[in-house]
Amino acid sequence: MTSFNPADKGRHKKLILIWSITFLVLFPLLITLGLLMRMNQGEMIQLDHDTFYALMTLHGLGMAGVLFSMAWAALFYLLGTRYIKLNTGVGYAVYALVVAGAIGLAIATLVGKFAAGWYMLYPLPFKNPSWPGWTTGLSIVSLILMGVAWLVGCLHVVHNLSKEYGGLANLLGWQYLGKEKPAKDIPPIALITTVSLVPGILSFLIGAALLIMYLLQLLEPSLSYNVLIQKNMMFFFGHTLVNITMYCGVAWMYTLLPEFTGREWKLNKLTVYAWNATFLFIVFAYFHHLYMDFVQPAPLQFAGQVASFLSAIPATAVTLFGLIAQLYRSNVKWGVVPMAFLLGGAGWAVGGCAAVVDSTIAINKVLHNTLWVPAHFHTYMLMGVVLFILAFLFYMGSKEKGEPLSPRTSFGFWLFVAGAYGFLLMFYLGGLNSIPRRMSEYASSGIDHVHGTGASLAYAAALCVFLVLAGLLMMYASLFGGLLKKEAAR
Amino acid sequence: MHLFSILLTIQGTAAVISLIGAVVVAGVVLFVVSTSHKPDTDHTAKTKVYKFRGKYFAGLLAVIVVGFALSMATLPYPQFQKDAPDQTVVVVGSQWMWKMAVSDDGTVPADVAKFKGTSTITLPANKTLKFWVSASDVNHNYAIYDANGELLAQTQAMPGYWNALQYRFSTPGTYTILCLEYCGAPHTVMTGKINVQ
Repeated sequence: MTSFNPADKGRHKKLILIWSITFLVLFPLLITLGLLMRMNQGEMIQLDHDTFYALMTLHGLGMAGVLFSMAWAALFYLLGTRYIKLNTGVGYAVYALVVAGAIGLAIATLVGKFAAGWYMLYPLPFKNPSWPGWTTGLSIVSLILMGVAWLVGCLHVVHNLSKEYGGLANLLGWQYLGKEKPAKDIPPIALITTVSLVPGILSFLIGAALLIMYLLQLLEPSLSYNVLIQKNMMFFFGHTLVNITMYCGVAWMYTLLPEFTGREWKLNKLTVYAWNATFLFIVFAYFHHLYMDFVQPAPLQFAGQVASFLSAIPATAVTLFGLIAQLYRSNVKWGVVPMAFLLGGAGWAVGGCAAVVDSTIAINKVLHNTLWVPAHFHTYMLMGVVLFILAFLFYMGSKEKGEPLSPRTSFGFWLFVAGAYGFLLMFYLGGLNSIPRRMSEYASSGIDHVHGTGASLAYAAALCVFLVLAGLLMMYASLFGGLLKKEAAR
Repeated sequence: MHLFSILLTIQGTAAVISLIGAVVVAGVVLFVVSTSHKPDTDHTAKTKVYKFRGKYFAGLLAVIVVGFALSMATLPYPQFQKDAPDQTVVVVGSQWMWKMAVSDDGTVPADVAKFKGTSTITLPANKTLKFWVSASDVNHNYAIYDANGELLAQTQAMPGYWNALQYRFSTPGTYTILCLEYCGAPHTVMTGKINVQ
């Protein structure tokens, strides 16, 4: 059994404090970029095309990067102070590289107007760009820095988990599948971290290969790659990164929620089967991004639909039922932490349902690249991952379980949730009305319905985002106060 | 558009399924919160929840199997189309315009960069049309909208590949083509028209 001395814990506390404050500063700034985009679509302000798409690029890359980094950092802290030895030096190195990458991306987009979108779909960055070549180079190098950071960070965590629990097979819980009781219990956080970070490691390797190919293309413009293969590589990287961010949040829910309910949440055969299946679904679900690439081999299209459909089983029947079983008649004190976990699970389910709908090829043919797509992933990022992160941050800042919140913080929390669902509803209505995504404005479409409905929904969405920001900022005094209190951080 | 007619569209199906999902989730949240203070004196609360799980699992599996089977009936891919095309149309997306032309012999041009087409085309109603879609520079997405702004069909336009989209216009009128894949800053102006007669 690993022992933890106060000095170790102190180092981890300092590191997570730096990560948390960075997250709390960057998150509303990145929301503001999205707000400007919706305001422009709603014709409240006027941005030129170049600026709009530069903001879109930074918003997408920034949010995916910040949310995954915070999720990884939370797991690093919880694992490193309770279960395994983790080197905080690695944590700082990851932080430095991620921040360096983020600064590079901010310069490339805000100064150089780099605007290829988060996915930089090959060969867009290299064909008639409206942005200077140096911004493409800076963005690629910045993303490589972040990718290397995440790769190192994930390898360090998985390696040390593996050392503590006796190999990858044990970490995946396979010893629970035999007849005998396992010699050593695996905490759920260890299994779910493995299921999340191992596909993450694969995706970072693929992403690194892709980015190196991009770098070579930049240096040697005569190079030409297969568009379909590049697209598969990019979506495997991007989809997996976003998908595992959600599962990281689930991992710490399994650890922290039982402290509030007083009920155990342990592994058994069923949870092991469920999470091993999830591992496969994470790897194969990305094919649903390529449904409208009709030349993609049909078996891969069906694999995308099968993996996406089946992923609903372990997510709901095991994890969300587990969440309900934790809370039902538990006499839990409804502080912000358990409420954020419950609502985070709910957001995951709502967004997941809309995602499964969109992952149906026969439906995707009219929803693909409409606002339905940002609708579903914003649901499980904003009302899933972010609520899980808030649960973690409030937990870290509270002295004791169920510590009452100030009325302002409580109001802020509910304003944040209400504003978010209003904002999301406008995306869903947009998707149902065939409003395309990634449009800087709707007037050029030449279709009255797309222009009128698209702009009206964007206007309403922008108003809701103001509520989201107001709610978030109202929670800040309590969040910062809690995190900075010496005696509080757990 | 009349509410009922929306429900009959694919978008309507998506809305109904998602709404049912959201209502169920909201119901579960309310149930969990409202019952959380009831005592669990005999420590059976967890067991009760897990007892219900078997039924849920069977129900969900049935929904997935039936949903999967039903969805296979209307796949957009060319190898699953029953009707033989009456006419072939070649479409090439280039930053930032659509070029379209009827192909009399049903073939596609060898060099998309040299393809001559127009951004407005006239096509017949009630004929099965096969659109061969490609791109000369970056990825685009060929999306057909009707005059009411409803997205009817789409496929990606990819450099080096030809995607075959089959569609039959049942109503004469003007249809708009939008690009649904981000293709550079002037992306929104990449439009085209189909006059269906």
